[in-house]
Amino acid sequence: MTDYHLVIDGATAEESWIYLDDDAALSDAPSIISLTRLKDQAYALAERSAPLGVILRADGLGKTDLGEDVRELAPFIDRLALIAIHFPAYRNGRGYSAARVLREEFNFTGQLRATGDVLYDQWAMMNRCGINAFELAADIDLATFQTALGELSGAYQPAADQNRGALWARGK
Amino acid sequence: MYRYDEFDHKLVADRVNQFRGQVERRVSGALSEDQFKPLRLMNGVYLQLHAYMLRVAIPYGTLRSEQMRMLAHIARKYDRGYGHFTTRQNIQYNWPALDEIPDLLDELACVEMHAIQTSGNCIRNVTSDQYAGAIEGEAEDPRIVSEIIRQWSTFHPEFTYLPRKFKIAVTAHKNDRAAIKLHDIGIVVKQNDAGEIGYEVHVGGGQGRTPFVAKKMTDFVPKAKLLAYLEAVMRVYNMLGRRDNSYKARIKILVHETGEEEMRRMVEEEFAKIDASEMLTVPQEEIDRISAYFAPPAFETLPADSQAFSQAQADDADFARFVRANVVAHKQDGYAIVNISLKPIGGVPGDATDAQMDVIADLAERFSHDEVRVTHEQNLVLPHVKLDDVKTVYDALAAHELATANLGLISDQIACPGLDYCNLANARSIPLAQEISERFSDLDRQYDIGELKIKISGCINACGHHHVGHIGILGVDKKGTEFYQISLGGAADENAAIGQITGRAFTEEDIVDAIETVITTYTDLRADGERFIDTYNRVGMAPFKERLYD
Repeated sequence: MTDYHLVIDGATAEESWIYLDDDAALSDAPSIISLTRLKDQAYALAERSAPLGVILRADGLGKTDLGEDVRELAPFIDRLALIAIHFPAYRNGRGYSAARVLREEFNFTGQLRATGDVLYDQWAMMNRCGINAFELAADIDLATFQTALGELSGAYQPAADQNRGALWARGK
Repeated sequence: MYRYDEFDHKLVADRVNQFRGQVERRVSGALSEDQFKPLRLMNGVYLQLHAYMLRVAIPYGTLRSEQMRMLAHIARKYDRGYGHFTTRQNIQYNWPALDEIPDLLDELACVEMHAIQTSGNCIRNVTSDQYAGAIEGEAEDPRIVSEIIRQWSTFHPEFTYLPRKFKIAVTAHKNDRAAIKLHDIGIVVKQNDAGEIGYEVHVGGGQGRTPFVAKKMTDFVPKAKLLAYLEAVMRVYNMLGRRDNSYKARIKILVHETGEEEMRRMVEEEFAKIDASEMLTVPQEEIDRISAYFAPPAFETLPADSQAFSQAQADDADFARFVRANVVAHKQDGYAIVNISLKPIGGVPGDATDAQMDVIADLAERFSHDEVRVTHEQNLVLPHVKLDDVKTVYDALAAHELATANLGLISDQIACPGLDYCNLANARSIPLAQEISERFSDLDRQYDIGELKIKISGCINACGHHHVGHIGILGVDKKGTEFYQISLGGAADENAAIGQITGRAFTEEDIVDAIETVITTYTDLRADGERFIDTYNRVGMAPFKERLYD
């Protein structure tokens, strides 16, 4: 059981992944590991056939706390089926840039998931940045989520979604 | 001026509806103040010392008369009959009731206004030169690119939770009236040798407790590439800006700690990646569509001189003084730019009553091609007045205490709201501005002193721009008593500089005398035609220090 419930591509979904601590043994289950482990055990992980995911952490990494660098994922992108972006506080918007880099620069097509302090008013923005899976607090239902996505009807600027943005779409 | 299309209207309407729901949840108690805070801050609603405060965006400081009339109406209906124009070309209302704010926002939306981008750690409302489109010598009307930036940055999904707030200013003139080098990003619209329009981009300026003048990141970004370049700067900042300490979170600290060269390299690298997709290259048709809104108004062909204008100055000494201080040459023969000072002697800098706003709206409609501008020095401008009409405009202004002839003079001060309103302040700013204004109320003396910019902040956050005042005054709190520190030599124009502190701070009783000492030191030392800042730059701090602390 998880302490969150999951929305993938706008629908509630069963969790099929497990988060693995760095010292926990790898199994055949789809597993989300740390960036450190991904880099340290790159060769061993290559032997494994089960789906692999990684979590990009945004804090707890030292004095100025810049979080992990999304571009360190570049060599591993083809092997990853899921990338979870950690939002340590709703105010910390570093992960929005990470999401866009993954989708637009690395053309990552797997599941891009938001975890951590992920609130109502951020879902739509995250969605526009290419995040398609959300770990929601247990008391939030799908209808609330859908409402939040629909509150702002349009966008002025392109991002990682299909919306071209009014500056580009007008007159087309 | 830019007019909303269906898309713009719908976006603002959606936002008001969304906020209405949030306010209802707050009023019913479903949301705590803590949970409500980030939501209200996304909508320009602050909680101040005494009440909620609403900040309304005036993009690049340009208003139509119907918009000014709406601001007057809001002051009357939802506030106590006045509004406060800010150093970011916005207007603040100090006393709205929270449950009425959604209705207030609905009314604003009727005239294409809102409170978006006026608070929170997003890209804030873009500011520009108040003389845009009226002054001779612009590469292009800076409001064109300002509007494009406004749209691109509105609800930008990637940059809504930045490390800190982010301010962009634009000028297209060699004389910088928008203080672009003191912004997170400052843009100079310019023409290259091939005659193409592009942008010089400065990054990392700012005030607050660690002031910096921005560094020039690039000399020329071609017109079509600007948004890609800006997005590159923003992405570097969003990924590497510090979030561990809010005082070190502005981009100026990143530029300072990273170094100008390395910052430039990172921005260039990011720019190349973003630009490769050409996704952010604005289509020419859209640039043309927006540009058309800023085409010059239908000016009449008039002689360069006006007999009526000259005669009125000869007949009326007060009018002649007003012209001398507040009226600026227009690019179009037979027209003038008329500045309206919101710094009456002894008044509150930047405040205007509902009746005054209505008068200004009427004058704009009748005499200024429907336009009013707000300046970052907290004054207003009628940008397109026929010389023949200046006297009529002046008389109407004078009848409503709006004809103070002190633009750019010692009594034309910037002051933050200070301890009278703000919960961050250490000291009062407004009463001090009023005292200085009273002390130097004699206009002849003000003209004799000449151009002088006094800027007053009630705390180190520097909302009153004290770092860049020719004379800056900073309120500090020492064991519960208000003290004032003086700095000299700051400038917010094209020669932007951070002022130097004179020495120990002065008490509330002594500060105005100390300012007087600084002034007499200048008048004693000045060479012919030297402004205060010129004399200071020539003689340096020493003589001032000597006279202040001997």
